[in-house]
Amino acid sequence: MKNLGEFEAGDNILSLKWSRDAAKLLVTPSTGDILVAGLEECSVKERFSGHGMGNGSSDWFQGEPVTCGFDGKVRRAGKEWAPGRGMIDRVKSNCDDSLFAVAQNRRLHVLNGANEPLYMIDLPASAADFGWSPTQAGEIATAGAGGACLWRVGEDNPFARFDWGGACLGVEWSADGRWLATADQTPSVHVYDIPRDHPLHIQGFEGKVRTMAFSPDSKRLATAGSPVVTVWPCKGKKGPEGATPIQVDGSESEVLAVAFSPKTGQLATGDGKGTLLVVSFESGQFRRKRTRLTSGIASLAWHPLLPLLAIGHDNGNVMFLSME
Amino acid sequence: MSRIPVTILTGFLGSGKTTLLNRILTEKHGLRIAVIENEFGEVGIDHELVISTDEELFEMNNGCICCTVRGDLIRILGNLMKRRDKFDHILIETTGLADPGPVVQTFFVDDELREKTIVNGVVTLVDAHHIVGQLEQTHEAEEQVAFADVIVLNKCDLVPEENLDALEQRVRGINALATIHRTTRADIDIAKVLEVGGFNLDRAVEVNPHFLDAHGHHHHHHSEIFSVGIEAEGECDGRKLNDWISKLVREQGKDIFRMKGVFAVKNQADRVVFQGVHMLVDAASGGPWAGRPRKNAVVFIGRNLNREALNAGFRMCLA
Repeated sequence: MKNLGEFEAGDNILSLKWSRDAAKLLVTPSTGDILVAGLEECSVKERFSGHGMGNGSSDWFQGEPVTCGFDGKVRRAGKEWAPGRGMIDRVKSNCDDSLFAVAQNRRLHVLNGANEPLYMIDLPASAADFGWSPTQAGEIATAGAGGACLWRVGEDNPFARFDWGGACLGVEWSADGRWLATADQTPSVHVYDIPRDHPLHIQGFEGKVRTMAFSPDSKRLATAGSPVVTVWPCKGKKGPEGATPIQVDGSESEVLAVAFSPKTGQLATGDGKGTLLVVSFESGQFRRKRTRLTSGIASLAWHPLLPLLAIGHDNGNVMFLSME
Repeated sequence: MSRIPVTILTGFLGSGKTTLLNRILTEKHGLRIAVIENEFGEVGIDHELVISTDEELFEMNNGCICCTVRGDLIRILGNLMKRRDKFDHILIETTGLADPGPVVQTFFVDDELREKTIVNGVVTLVDAHHIVGQLEQTHEAEEQVAFADVIVLNKCDLVPEENLDALEQRVRGINALATIHRTTRADIDIAKVLEVGGFNLDRAVEVNPHFLDAHGHHHHHHSEIFSVGIEAEGECDGRKLNDWISKLVREQGKDIFRMKGVFAVKNQADRVVFQGVHMLVDAASGGPWAGRPRKNAVVFIGRNLNREALNAGFRMCLA
């Protein structure tokens, strides 16, 4: 591993997103300016105003950052839009970069490249999280009280509902669009096999699952919340059902971030004390490389094309680490 | 790491919550207070420290009121706890019709919030001019009074002094534990709102089950919601006490809004203090008796409580 460079973003790093051309990194701290860093220089190239009391997770849309926050505002390309009262804690663009969405209370707003609101979906409950389908540009999953729903942009009612009565805090799609996973308020995860319309409830976690990620080949799901990361096999007809997961230990405190490399398939995990694990999987076995960094790891983002990891720390430091 | 205190501000529409919030945000008290206001507040407060949110109820266990928490608070506070410049205090305003239960339960149930925050208390604003009608017409007003650690009897200038005493007794009949302050235009020392300590187990030792008796009206309930205080000499059998409270909250937790107590438990030198909300109960050592008589005192606030059954149940726990 080699440290290629680092810089300060001022506060706990809420999210890190590589641009679609893989040249720039969007860095969103909990408060203060939202930054764009260049890969070549490993330093800050642009700054965008923050959102008062707190920023939401930002994203790239048509080559530009879209930001949001507790002030209930969305900003992109010098334009600001405020749909109503209430915080906005994430913005996400869809798979073909033609639309982006924000959730505010019980409404999901879908906007286009002119920052114009195209559609508004009234949700059965506030969206704790949402995620665009990785394969269908007009489909989106929302998660919150009651479970998860699948929507088609432009339609008023969901085309699929996964109601189980409890509450979901996070949602994650597999890259092939087969699996939809929700992290629940209780220590459990729901995994839905979309083509089979088959739900699976995975329990037995030590605590609430705070972060999860699918591998780029959609064959593994990493879930974490405690110091142990559980990696579920998602291949075959049944996926994780009845399968024995891999338990990756070696972290010193609760794991707060997990990410699979699109380039190498390696899993990176980061905990609240700064322990970074880089895990390689080989035929049911795993090897892990452990590195202790100077402060807690809040966000991780692998470069889309290179064996390079961006690490966001809870003290605001952002580091580029090459695995070569 | 010290936990950030949280105060829950509740009260019916028009009771003066916005006036009090504005006072808290503008007065020079030297504290950095984050305010989470509900989206449907009477007036949106435009202030850099205010976050507006929709109350989002999460049922963790299908349909059980005791397992209902506020999802929006989990997300907002989760984010606030991560930021570098922390707050001295967090104040959460509920809607006028909200049940404070899920707000309080959120801080008991969510591990992350439990670790990083501490509920200081529930402060309920009451419109002295309209409270009688509200208590008769809605369950929500009663429940907000029942949950309170502090009741701010506001708009007292609109009610004759002699009526205020009767009003206070009426409120006291519902909630024997709360401290009551009379105000006009929500003009109250901020410390009385913020430094409540209502969920602090150390404060549970201040339980006074005779408060109702002192006002001589505990047998004349105007409402379904009232307080039951029990006091008994002697020592409890710890196992019996545990079994009784477990059974009680399992069977009647839905109707028990708050409970607090201090017990003398056999073979335990220190006081045992406990407090709870619905089915969630917390107990700890309350320190030495320090010369005070070893006796038991407990107060329950709830709906249609059976005073005789509670008394009998508790007496079965005596060693």
